[in-house]
Amino acid sequence: MIATLREIIERSLQRLAETATTYVPPLLAGLVILLAALLMASVVRLVLLRITKTAWLDRFLLESGLSSMLGRTRPVEAAPLVAGAIYWLILLVGLLTALNAFNTALTTQMVQTVVFLLPKLVTAALILLAGVWLGQFLGRSMLVWAVNEDLPHPRRLAAGVRALVIFVAVVVAADHLNFARSVFLAAFLLVVGGVALACSLAVGLSVHDALKRRFGEPARTGDGQEKSLWNHL
Amino acid sequence: MLTEEARKAASSLKKADVVIGIPSYNNARTIAHVVKAAQAGLAKYFPQLSAVIVNSDGGSRDGTREAVMSASIEAPQLLLLSTPLLPVHRLSLPYHGIPGKGSAFRMIFALARELGAQACAVVDADLRSITPEWIDLLVRPILYAGFDFVAPYYHRHKYDGTITNSIVYPLTRALYGLRVRQPIGGDFGISARLLRRYLERKDWETDVARYGVDIWMTTIAIAEGFRVCQSFLGAKLHDAKDPGADLSAMLHQVVGSVFTLMKEYEQVWRNVTGSRPADLFGFRFDVGLDPIPVNLERMVKAFLTGCRELREIWSLALERETLQALLGVCREAEANPRQWRLPDYLWARVILDFACAHRAMPVERGHLLRSLTPLYLGRVASFVMETEPLVSAEVEDRIEQLCLAFEAAKPYLTARWDAVGAAAAPAVQGAPVEVKP
Repeated sequence: MIATLREIIERSLQRLAETATTYVPPLLAGLVILLAALLMASVVRLVLLRITKTAWLDRFLLESGLSSMLGRTRPVEAAPLVAGAIYWLILLVGLLTALNAFNTALTTQMVQTVVFLLPKLVTAALILLAGVWLGQFLGRSMLVWAVNEDLPHPRRLAAGVRALVIFVAVVVAADHLNFARSVFLAAFLLVVGGVALACSLAVGLSVHDALKRRFGEPARTGDGQEKSLWNHL
Repeated sequence: MLTEEARKAASSLKKADVVIGIPSYNNARTIAHVVKAAQAGLAKYFPQLSAVIVNSDGGSRDGTREAVMSASIEAPQLLLLSTPLLPVHRLSLPYHGIPGKGSAFRMIFALARELGAQACAVVDADLRSITPEWIDLLVRPILYAGFDFVAPYYHRHKYDGTITNSIVYPLTRALYGLRVRQPIGGDFGISARLLRRYLERKDWETDVARYGVDIWMTTIAIAEGFRVCQSFLGAKLHDAKDPGADLSAMLHQVVGSVFTLMKEYEQVWRNVTGSRPADLFGFRFDVGLDPIPVNLERMVKAFLTGCRELREIWSLALERETLQALLGVCREAEANPRQWRLPDYLWARVILDFACAHRAMPVERGHLLRSLTPLYLGRVASFVMETEPLVSAEVEDRIEQLCLAFEAAKPYLTARWDAVGAAAAPAVQGAPVEVKP
């Protein structure tokens, strides 16, 4: 009885020792790598913040409207943005290297997946960012134009334009990631078809009105309401 | 800068002391009268000088260029006090580049430089009230009094020139400290020295090429220390603006040019307090003016639509207090569309906040400037309601009060300008200017 108990304890201790000798060194190595990556990322971020000359990039961010889009309370500056991106990139590389230290099938697969997917994820994120920016820009253009042209429901029109552009960006990003391709494509075709139909109806109705005005009513001389708003300029 | 046709014309003429420029686009109805007035003015007041009248045309399809070339003075109807010694040449040339008044001016200036002109005057092609005396009043201060820039001073109907009265005049005066009453009048006299400076500039391809050119010329003349005066020209009667033209594009180009130049001349206007009058030539007299009909209802409607729909953009451009006060005015206008006011101090703050937003760009500049249109229409509506019973002199007093409100808001502008940030374009260094009110 005692011998059996001793045997079980010895075996479990042996397994523990084996596990420890198999996993503790890579774990320690991984931790060291992570710490080194953290240290390196912090130093690089600090150095970049001090030495990066990003006047042109600041100007681009400001003039493109990305700056105010990314920063809710105040405009985003380029130097912290670049430094932050490189900081997280170094940390990610450190994490992958640390995972690779375990040299197991699972970790190897994880690293491979991340390395394979990362460029696609970054591209998809950039597509989404561009879509959100373009949606905001075109939405505001529509809003201001609709107000100045006295069109009905300017904010709804602007929201529609914004949603449409962002939706197109989502479809493109999903297609790039090979994610639910057919679903997004079908939805995209439905939306585009709907918009085309709405535009055709709008053009048809306005042409109908214009033709009615042209042939059915006397032409406007321009001396009335339209002109009076302009004379004072 | 000069087309082949213009270059050939310049080389055949070789030299001219005075150049009169007339930019045009579909002005066949009025341009012959303008050319005749210019010709008579040159013959009567500067008979000893060689002169050229240049029509810079933007591709008119109504026979404008033919009207220019066929216009000539009918001698029996004209009493000339001096016998012209030299003939006045007429040129009608199309310009190339961005369509607009600025591109037309550029060609006129380049031709004047090529011909070695001592003075150049530009007059609008749609003028119905121009007389030969205008040429004298625009050119003489340059040739004989040493001025570099002659701005026009007209009598206008109280509802005429509202972009000038509500934005451009008060803002320019408060910024640079000189009271040039018609900074975007369209009829100017320019010295050879100032012409060279204009032609040196690299920003001809911006809004300057369009409606922004008038304020661009005036601002450069004042801010760079050229000698600036005004000439009283009487009444300005001109063809009505094209009703199909885009008001918000006009406002965008004019106000955008003012704001862009504010950045460049920051070091000049920053230290200016108060304002001083500019020298005025000519004999001032009262004249009858064409009535200007205004559609108050439509302007109020446009303002209220802006209040409802553009809060998203206005909140990015305006200070919180300014926005709150403005929304209060919107509520008043909504409740009683014929009995509300957009006060001077608030209007000054709105414009100055937009100027700062144009620098900081919390929103794209085109959107920002176009979102100003309903506010501008609201201000004009308020001004019309307030001045309905007033006569011309009383209206001028009201505009003076508005200018004082802009001058009083200058410390506010400086504080906000500094606060909105360093990300704007580097300003051109200039000497600080002290102006005594």
